Amino acid sequence: MIRFENVGLAYGNEPEVLKNLSFSIKPGSFHFLTGPSGAGKTSLLRLFLLSLRPTTGKITMFGEKVSRLNQDRLLQLRRHIGIVFQEFRLLDHLTTFENVALPLRVLGQSESEYASNVKELLEWVGLGERIDAHPPLLSGGEKQRAAIARAVIGRPDILLADEPTGNVDPELAERLLHLFAELNRMGTTIIIATHELPLLDKFKYPRMQLSNGRLKIDGS
Amino acid sequence: MLLITIMTFLSGVTLGAVVLVQKSAIAWSSEVGREVTIQIRPIEGEVMQSNVRTAITLANSAAGVSKAFALSLDESEELLIPWLGEGLDLSALPVPRLIIVELDRADAQDIAQLKASIETIAGASLNTHAAWRQQLNTMAGTFVISGLLVLFLIASATVLAIIFATRGTMSSNRAIVDVLHFIGASNSFIAGEFQGRFLRIGLRGSIAGAVASLLFFFGAGIAVSSILPDQSGAQLGALFGTFSLGFEGIIAVSLLVPAISALTAVTSRLTVQSFLRNTS
Ligand SMILES: Nc1ncnc2c1ncn2[C@@H]1O[C@H](COP(=O)(O)OP(=O)(O)O)[C@@H](O)[C@H]1O
Ligand SMILES: [Mg+2]
Repeated sequence: MIRFENVGLAYGNEPEVLKNLSFSIKPGSFHFLTGPSGAGKTSLLRLFLLSLRPTTGKITMFGEKVSRLNQDRLLQLRRHIGIVFQEFRLLDHLTTFENVALPLRVLGQSESEYASNVKELLEWVGLGERIDAHPPLLSGGEKQRAAIARAVIGRPDILLADEPTGNVDPELAERLLHLFAELNRMGTTIIIATHELPLLDKFKYPRMQLSNGRLKIDGS
Repeated sequence: MLLITIMTFLSGVTLGAVVLVQKSAIAWSSEVGREVTIQIRPIEGEVMQSNVRTAITLANSAAGVSKAFALSLDESEELLIPWLGEGLDLSALPVPRLIIVELDRADAQDIAQLKASIETIAGASLNTHAAWRQQLNTMAGTFVISGLLVLFLIASATVLAIIFATRGTMSSNRAIVDVLHFIGASNSFIAGEFQGRFLRIGLRGSIAGAVASLLFFFGAGIAVSSILPDQSGAQLGALFGTFSLGFEGIIAVSLLVPAISALTAVTSRLTVQSFLRNTS
């Protein structure tokens, strides 16, 4: 599903953030991406999202060489990827409902097709009451859940989440991780970046550990 | 929004003025076209009175003439006052006499025949005001063309302003564009998201501008008839047909609304698309 061969990444002329990474991620797998703050977790997720190009090496996603993709194809591939940004990136001028519905609209669905799905998912993540609220009025935890709902509504093949438990209490954090586990059972490939190690101990998923630009994958 | 309002207002006023001048010119032209004058110069050995009578008889019997009458000496005097001053006595002077001929229809052949028969009278000539009408038409034409040129300039300025405003909106909404791209939205989807906003701005702005320019003409009409009821009012009235735009004028100004909205929509769409091409 994702394959890296000798991938390096540097911002501008600065030293490499990621050095010579080679690994592959199988469809239907679940990985935690760990490492201290500044280790390069967000940068690696951006490579997965195709929003950054590697400085060196080769990335293959969905069997296609990333360096060969044109803009249209790139946008099409992104529709198979769900992303939860660390800073949420909800659109303030849209309601919670409209934010979550956005990926389905991008896929060409009409409101009558997606309305009930979106409402159901919002109920499920506990935002049933906040459907018409705009993001600036949501609490940190509510925004977090809205961002997750937006990432999963389109049933992506790959779900990327950057610190998705950073803004919620431990209880909700655990529920959210169970939601990801549930999605994974239904076939979604999942990669969750986090530096909160204690929480992960309850889940027996392999960890990708970043430190000093190197990546170590273990099946803890 | 305000920009579109102002641009529509300016276009509306220009377009209205063009319609007014065009209408007045057509009105004058056809009025003047249905009148010719016969001038009889005094010639020694000719009896003026009998020549005038002959000319009137000839004119009245000619095809297409509804009425022919001579201006009396007093009336001729009045016409000459601006040139020669008050208190002149024409009976002492050998002045030409004028005969006004009103026509049923402005038919070139009728007029040519009348001209031929009138000119058999010694010292008589027929004046069709053709040269004057020509000049009037040229003037009106020049005005109309200048007006259209001004409209074109306003449209160009509007397009430029919309391009800059759209670019500004897009860069300040860069975050939205990025998120939509991350979700996999195509450029045309994103353009569509912004399209509605720009179309609304264009529509509201141009309606406000068109209404303002119609009110301007309405107000100008009232002002002209109330503040200048005398001669200067009459002159302005003659020039601008009493400022009443009439049905065609109102339609023309109203058509600016869809025209400028469409201009806004198309311009902003193209700008958004080129912005997206250059940033993604
Ligand atoms: N857009 C950027 N431009 C320059 N440097 C960046 C940029 N994004 C991240 N970095 C640098 O790359 C390193 C890794 O950052 P990041 O991937 O955000 O780490 P993490 O998500 O693990 O905290 C940091 O040193 C950070 O300063
Ligand atoms: Mg990060």
